[in-house]
Amino acid sequence: MRPGPEADGEIVRAVLAGDRERYARLVERYRDRYARYAARMLGSADAAEDAVQDAFVRAFDQLSQCKDPDKFVSWFFLILRNRCFAERRRNRTESSLEAAESVAAADRTDGGAEAGERRRALQLALMELTPDQREVFVLKHVEGLSYGEIAERLSTSVPSLKMRMHRAYDTLREQLREHK
Amino acid sequence: MSEHEFHPLVKQLLDGDITLADLPADLRAEGEEALRLLAAVDRSVVSVPAVTWRVMAGLEQRRRRVRPWLLAPALALAAALLLWIMPAKPAAPALVTVRFVLAAPDAHEVSLAGTFNRWDSHATPLVRSGPTGVWTATLTLPAGQHQYAFVVDGVRWVPDPGAPAVDDGFGRRNSVLTL
Repeated sequence: MRPGPEADGEIVRAVLAGDRERYARLVERYRDRYARYAARMLGSADAAEDAVQDAFVRAFDQLSQCKDPDKFVSWFFLILRNRCFAERRRNRTESSLEAAESVAAADRTDGGAEAGERRRALQLALMELTPDQREVFVLKHVEGLSYGEIAERLSTSVPSLKMRMHRAYDTLREQLREHK
Repeated sequence: MSEHEFHPLVKQLLDGDITLADLPADLRAEGEEALRLLAAVDRSVVSVPAVTWRVMAGLEQRRRRVRPWLLAPALALAAALLLWIMPAKPAAPALVTVRFVLAAPDAHEVSLAGTFNRWDSHATPLVRSGPTGVWTATLTLPAGQHQYAFVVDGVRWVPDPGAPAVDDGFGRRNSVLTL
């Protein structure tokens, strides 16, 4: 029987015991998955790459504070999330244009011009949401999480998430109508 | 309710709690508009393969700064053991996409010279992204070890501050990238 993939907790404990190189396995395992979240939050694939890199370095530095090594990824997500929110506060003006360019780059390989234009318009509209609203939209409709899963991850309630999301739907509709 | 607000039932549709067929006839058009919004969501994968080596190289570099006298013999021993234990594998090298980044706000042009372009300082220009003075280039390189340096304004050779470096034997430092 082939052994299954090494559990996150096992890797974290090994790194804390001095096997630093093993940390690369965690980076490899989660970098792309969380780069998508960061790209949609920041509106730029380049900014997302930097954010994910910084978050992994910070997570390494604070690894001894990860109370439950088996839940490394939930803990890592919160570090990345803080990094993305801070980045948005710093860099608000550049992102919309980069968002459009980022999506435009994807259009060349994915679907026709009309579909690409709709994606571009939605990505620009997403950047007009508050970070809290954008996050719940990204986690549900890009990452495919349920409200229950998002609530657990963000330590909040489902009704509060739905309220944020429903405001987001209205803002997106308004933005997309203005774009037409 | 303003004209831009979706009807509460349409919001339930967006949440996935009901289907278009569950909406009353007078809300179908609004429901279709809502579904078009969701269809435009970009779920494409964002691949960042360079993050692994950038993170690990950064950690390694910091460790070297802290205890270089301990690390150098250990690395040399590990490398020697690895060469001794592992026979060479004649496999085709995989390709890896890497993004090179240099912050050089005062530069007018930046390029990349290395073993992958025969040290041609004109072959691989970097592009300035935004007003922050960050220059980037994305290359697809074969797995393995590469040496390189940034060339600023055509004359100044600068090693990558985010990567380990070695002496090139002529008084300059070359950055080392292992893929």
